[in-house]
Amino acid sequence: MRVLIVDPDSTRASLVAEGLAQMQPLALLSVEHLRETELVAFAPDIVIVACDSPDRDTIESLRGATRDNPRPVVMFVDQSRPGLAEEVVRAGVAAYVVDGLQPGRIQAILEVARVRFQMMQQLRTDLAKAQSDLAARKTIERAKGLLMKERQIDEDAAYAILRKLAMNSGRSIGMVAADLLAFAGVLKGDQT
Amino acid sequence: MTAALHLGFIALTDSAPLIVAKERGLFADEGLDVTLHREVSWATIRDKVGAGLFQGAHMLGPMALAQALEAPPQQAFLAPLALNAHGAAIGVSRSLADAMGEDLSAARLAQVIAARGKAPTFAVVYHHSIHNYLLRHWAAAGGVDPDRDIRIVIAPPTAIAARLASGDIDGFCVGAPWGSFCETIEGARVVFESRGFWPGGPDKVLGVSAAWAEREREQMRALTRAVLRAQMWADAPENAPALAQMLSARTYVGAPAPLIARRLDGASPTKIRFAAHATWFPWRSHAAWFLSQMLRWGQIPADAPLAPALEVYHPDLCREAAAHLGLSAPLADAKTEGAHVNDWALPGTAGPIAMSADRIFESPPFDHESLAAYAAGFAISRLKR
Repeated sequence: MRVLIVDPDSTRASLVAEGLAQMQPLALLSVEHLRETELVAFAPDIVIVACDSPDRDTIESLRGATRDNPRPVVMFVDQSRPGLAEEVVRAGVAAYVVDGLQPGRIQAILEVARVRFQMMQQLRTDLAKAQSDLAARKTIERAKGLLMKERQIDEDAAYAILRKLAMNSGRSIGMVAADLLAFAGVLKGDQT
Repeated sequence: MTAALHLGFIALTDSAPLIVAKERGLFADEGLDVTLHREVSWATIRDKVGAGLFQGAHMLGPMALAQALEAPPQQAFLAPLALNAHGAAIGVSRSLADAMGEDLSAARLAQVIAARGKAPTFAVVYHHSIHNYLLRHWAAAGGVDPDRDIRIVIAPPTAIAARLASGDIDGFCVGAPWGSFCETIEGARVVFESRGFWPGGPDKVLGVSAAWAEREREQMRALTRAVLRAQMWADAPENAPALAQMLSARTYVGAPAPLIARRLDGASPTKIRFAAHATWFPWRSHAAWFLSQMLRWGQIPADAPLAPALEVYHPDLCREAAAHLGLSAPLADAKTEGAHVNDWALPGTAGPIAMSADRIFESPPFDHESLAAYAAGFAISRLKR
């Protein structure tokens, strides 16, 4: 089985490659950008490509030329396992298979790609959330400091004010704190 | 009860009917809660509608047809509306334009290629697209064999300008506003447009999942009505400035409003049509012409059974929606294409419909009953009989 992974995100590509390593026999090539010559030279049985990669068009170009070239996997898996195509596409994987492969092996490879893409997505989401949580915490600290200074109150009282504002407006404490800082900036003449 | 639908679109001016229906509350009026998804390539649109993630999309007419020709059979699409006419443009890079000089015809391109001894690369947006067929037809009419004298690659519409800039491609065929964009940003020259190729000719459709349409008949009807209403609004000249502004948003087309407005100006002959002359009608003869091009360029074998593909276009569903809106829809499902030098009139469900001249550039009239003969009738054709 010859598998080609095309993904500008090399971390994600290695994650997929690692997942496929157990499957033998396997020849695996992973590239960030696909050149047509590479595709022809490697002659993959299956190509895993990130949905948003512009290189999928290279594969689509070949597909137009003759009917023997790789075809999109959505067109292939529907009969073998209902729902698999949807899950694969939802995970952001575009895959192309060459006719004549055992559906079982293709499914196994697609499952790995799907799970690894999702894993990566989850990691990214978690990271983004952690970063925004951290930023919100900093904002809240600054807003608290501002309230404490302007109103001569302690930290708990300042936090209580922010919490009350948040509850009254149905927004997060972080957003209320950011607004407060922005308004304070305008009043001080930082912004116009 | 509100139905939640997901529809895909590509950043092009002719996605306007979906965007207008969303922005002006026409989906909501029909009880539809529609989320629009801006996709990066036509392949993704095909995959997402095929996998059932989207119920429908702004779709290339031939893409919807090709889905019906796959073996083994695929999740079928159906097209209750055509979305537009005009907007596609063939362009060449600044350096190729300089080499061609004053004469920007395909015959001149043939001379330039012969002198250079190297095949230029043209990008089209998808292999089953009016853009591929338009480029091929234009080139072939000038003696440029599109399979031998030039190299055709696929690139998403929004990526064309960047590929020109990097020197990957020497020309393109793409939908508005990206042709104008390439002219303005990259100094490319538009040498031929779909308006000049075939006035009122076919392009995008509203393509929906046939399985969904079967399951949710009423939702599909509501969707068709909402999009048809949006087409009427988008076509009115007085709405052009607002439409250009609406489309220019980053979340939609993401190009400057004045560029988009160029092809919406009612006074311009290259105006993109959304409604006038029953542009919204999914003519079976338009579908047949697309199939003739798949035959002509060897995309499908000469003996491919074409009936399932023709049935992707649904004039019946379109007539239903038109009746709802009080519009006169054509009585016939198909017509002879490209036979009219002058304006003409067509019998409709609620009175005659004014039609425009529709001659096809360097082509005999197209009879949908004999599409293979048409495909084989050109000097350059991959269909050998």
